[in-house]
Amino acid sequence: MSTDLVNPPVQLQPEKALHLSQLAPQILKSSPTTSLPYPLSLLTTPESQETWVVYENLVFQCLRTGDDDSAKECLDRLVDRFGEDNERIMALCGMYEEAVAKDDKELEGVLKTYNKAIQADPTNMLLRKRKIALLKSLSRTNDAISSLVELLDASPIDSEAWAELSELYFSQGMYQQAIFSLEEVLLITPNAWTIHARLGEILYIHGQSPSVNDAEILKSLSESMRRFCRSLELCNDYLRGYYGLKLTTKRLLDVLPSAGKQSDADLPPPSTETVHKLHELATRKLAEIVRRSASKEKGWEGFDPAEIIAARELLDRETQKVDR
Amino acid sequence: MAQPVVQTIHRDPALFYWILLPITVVMILTGILRHYAMVLLQSTPKKQTLPLIRQHRSLMRGVNLRTNANVLSPSSFAARKSFLVAAFQSGAFLADPDAKGKPRPNPMTDPAAMEGMMGMMKGQVAMMVPQTLIMGWINAFFSGFVIMKLPFPLTPQFKSMLQSGVGTRDLDVRWVSSLSWYFLTLFGLQPVYNFILGSNNSANQVTQQMAGMNPGAGMMGPEQDPDKLFQSEAENLEVIEHKWILEGVEDRLLASLS
Repeated sequence: MSTDLVNPPVQLQPEKALHLSQLAPQILKSSPTTSLPYPLSLLTTPESQETWVVYENLVFQCLRTGDDDSAKECLDRLVDRFGEDNERIMALCGMYEEAVAKDDKELEGVLKTYNKAIQADPTNMLLRKRKIALLKSLSRTNDAISSLVELLDASPIDSEAWAELSELYFSQGMYQQAIFSLEEVLLITPNAWTIHARLGEILYIHGQSPSVNDAEILKSLSESMRRFCRSLELCNDYLRGYYGLKLTTKRLLDVLPSAGKQSDADLPPPSTETVHKLHELATRKLAEIVRRSASKEKGWEGFDPAEIIAARELLDRETQKVDR
Repeated sequence: MAQPVVQTIHRDPALFYWILLPITVVMILTGILRHYAMVLLQSTPKKQTLPLIRQHRSLMRGVNLRTNANVLSPSSFAARKSFLVAAFQSGAFLADPDAKGKPRPNPMTDPAAMEGMMGMMKGQVAMMVPQTLIMGWINAFFSGFVIMKLPFPLTPQFKSMLQSGVGTRDLDVRWVSSLSWYFLTLFGLQPVYNFILGSNNSANQVTQQMAGMNPGAGMMGPEQDPDKLFQSEAENLEVIEHKWILEGVEDRLLASLS
């Protein structure tokens, strides 16, 4: 049980988060704050490194599930232990303040304290990230982007920040910039198949946008397809990858025959035959994943239910078309 | 040849209570004391300033680009390369652009380096002083005592290790002198400290010396002229051979999955 709290998965399902946060009162009770006088405390309180990680994660989960009191309690203990000047504690406190803020005005107040703290210590990356998150939740995306660019100028090997920047640009419809940012992420983590697939998705969407010309469409579609291929090469059962591969190859099959010769692309567009094969492969694999995870076969659990539904819907759409 | 007669020495039990135990207890206590002294003496690592972080991480970005270049398309790699090479050569990421081209300062006059050395000195002193004192104490009071007998036989090579301070040639190797007991506890108490103080304590001198090495090795890194590093990284980037990993990926995928 405790291992979960020490090392929780990055994306926690809501039920799991609730479960973890319900552990909070129990954990808080079982480790009281009042300790014995000095020589005895050596024997009784084994302060392991995990203790504080558990507290930190409890703060996250409690805030997420609305258990502000337990969060406050954990936070107080963390503050007692590490002091208020610790970077991580500052960020956690800020997060708590954000969570209990009632309206935008209070959030602005939190933002002001962030700005002050960042001015005092511009190297506090965690707090700068909190500020960006806060700007984002205040839907001041432009400010968030400029702060993030500033952060990345000082620390250009922060993959998390580049990925966030990419999402922000993407939300603004600035696909070129989003693609550039994701490529930076890939430079740091070259084998992240999720990032490859995400890049494929953005390229695909970029290829759909009305402003681009035919040559550009073909170029980004074929790169998108190759990105999905790479993602699948790295992770053979990546549902999102197959979904994207199916979409792009289908689109490519429409576009390819009418395409003219290309000169400026980095790689020649794939041959129709290959695209066809890839399309078949993606369809077959998607069907397999949907079928197997529906029958709950061993080793095929753990797909996101929403993604399974989307994949099934995509497959159904196609079969209907054939029927007609 | 007959078995040599087993040596028996009648020891006063007081030897056990007044020499063996005190040495052990004192050694353990000094270890604990040293641990807490080290915790107190430790200076918090100095924070890097933002320009220094920027300088370091920009260099890392160049290294990343060089090692992972094959995830990029040729055109976007070329764009990044020309940007980074130009920036590296002009020193745009340097923390201290004015210092470019100047010879690097003597580390002895650099206060930051001095501080690091002070930290190491403090560690050394906290190690050496109690050691000298205790050894002097044992030499003055307990030298020449044979205080215990090991329950297992040993080869004569151990004689110098187990019987220092007792100049008797014919004494069985199994007898341990007080000074040797001191040395044994000095090196052998790490598990005891681990038990009492937790695993990353700074009680034992051996681990201390190890830790003393590492910051020394780490210190050499930033001592190098950052501008030189940037220039050499720019050159490395210039000559890199680029191959896009997406080239032919669709065939690879088809071959592996069907």
